[in-house]
Amino acid sequence: MKDLPEIPVAVTPRTNPFARVFDEITAFCRSRSMFMLHYCTGCGAIELPPAMTSRFDMERLGIQPMVSPRQADILLITGYVSVKTLKRVILTYEQMASPKYVIGICSCTVNGGMYWQSYATAKKLNDYMPVDMYIAGCMPRPEAVIEGLRGLMERVRTGEASSWEDYYRRYDYYLGNQQRLFGEAWQTPTNVIQEAEHYGLAGPETEGEHTALLRQHQRPLEPLEMRIGLKERV
Amino acid sequence: MLPRQGQAMTAGDPSTALGPILRDVEGARITSTRARRSRVDLPADALPALLELLKGRAGFVHLSAISCVDWMDEGQFELVYHVWSYEMSMMVSAHIRIPREPGVYLSVYDLYHPAGFFERDIHEMYGLYFEGSPDMEKFILTEWDGPPPMRKDFDSEAWVNDHFDWQDYRPDWLKELEEDGGGVAIRPDEQRFSRRK
Repeated sequence: MKDLPEIPVAVTPRTNPFARVFDEITAFCRSRSMFMLHYCTGCGAIELPPAMTSRFDMERLGIQPMVSPRQADILLITGYVSVKTLKRVILTYEQMASPKYVIGICSCTVNGGMYWQSYATAKKLNDYMPVDMYIAGCMPRPEAVIEGLRGLMERVRTGEASSWEDYYRRYDYYLGNQQRLFGEAWQTPTNVIQEAEHYGLAGPETEGEHTALLRQHQRPLEPLEMRIGLKERV
Repeated sequence: MLPRQGQAMTAGDPSTALGPILRDVEGARITSTRARRSRVDLPADALPALLELLKGRAGFVHLSAISCVDWMDEGQFELVYHVWSYEMSMMVSAHIRIPREPGVYLSVYDLYHPAGFFERDIHEMYGLYFEGSPDMEKFILTEWDGPPPMRKDFDSEAWVNDHFDWQDYRPDWLKELEEDGGGVAIRPDEQRFSRRK
C-alpha cells in the first residue's frame, strides 16, 4: 500500500452529477419492462408458449407479449423468414418505436438453417435489419430462450444493445440488401432517413446510392380512406 | 407402363368396378389397384373424357389434387388427377404424360372448379400452361420473377448463392480450436451438395 499515492487517478469532470444516474436508472427500468412482439414465422414459435406461460414464466423477468409493433420493444423472429415474410418483418420493424431490439431465434434466422438451399427463404436476417441477438438451436429450448432474453436485458441495462441505431446510421447498406432481394421499386411507408435525422443519428452512411434510388420512385403516402358505414351498393 | 402391383387388368375387366367406364375411354387401362384406390394410365387427349365419365356415371365428384411430375430426361411432364367418389368410397388417380415443350395442356376447370387453383399452382411452379383455366396469374410466389422453381432444371443452390449472403461465423472459441489443430472438419460453404466431389 506504500505506492498508493503514486497510482495515477483519472478525474473526469462532470457538469451534471445526476445525468449519468438518471441514464442508468432509465436503462435499468427499460431492461426490466420489455414488451415483446413475437413474429412467429416458423417452428420456433412452438417453444414460446412454455417460455411465456407458467412453466418458465417470462413475465417474472418483466417480459411480456405485446399485441402491436408500435408498443413493442423486442421483435422476436422465430424461425425461417421467407422472402414474402421478410417484407412484412421489415415493415413491422420500421413501425416499432426506438429503442427497439431484434432477436432471431433458431438456426434459420442465422443462416437459413435447414432451408439453406431454398430459393424462397432469406438466409441472413442481419443483412436486412440489425439483429441484437441470435439464439441458436433448432429449436432452442425455453431455457435457451430465457437465457437469451436475460442476455438481452443485461445488454440493455449496460447500454450495449444499440443496434437499432445501426439501422439509421447505415440505412443505405440495409436498404441495398433489401433492394437486391425485392427489386428497385421496394419502398416502405416509413421515412427512415427523416427518422434518422430526428434521432440525430444520420451519418455519412445513412444515405447513398440505394437511398438515391429510393428517392427516385418514392411515392408519398396517401391517407387511408375513412368511411363510416357500408358502401352503398349500386 | 408396367403394373406396379398384381396383374395388369384391361379396361374391360369385369372384376373392377371401373371396368364399364374405362371400356368407353380409348387407351385407358388400370395399371395398379388396391382396395379403394386405382391408378389409371391413359393418353393425354382422353383425360377429359375419362373425368367426365367418372364424374357423371360413378360419382367421382371430388377432385382432391392435381399433381405434376417433371420427367426431365424423358422430356415429359406427368400430370396426376386424383378424384374421389363418395358413393364408391374410392380414389382414382389418372396419370397422363404430356411433352415438356411447349408444356401446354387443357384445363378441366369446366368439370371441376377447384382445378383452377391446382392449375394455377402448377403453372407457377412448373411453367405448365393450362388452356381455358380462368386465372393463370401468380398465386403463392407473388414476388417471384425467376424461372418456375419446381422444374428439375432449376438450380436452387445457384439461385441462393446469387441472391443471398452466407453468415460469416468464426467466433473466437473456434479460432482457438483451429489453432490447436481442431475445428470444423467440413466448413459449411464446402458442404454444399453441388460442390461435393
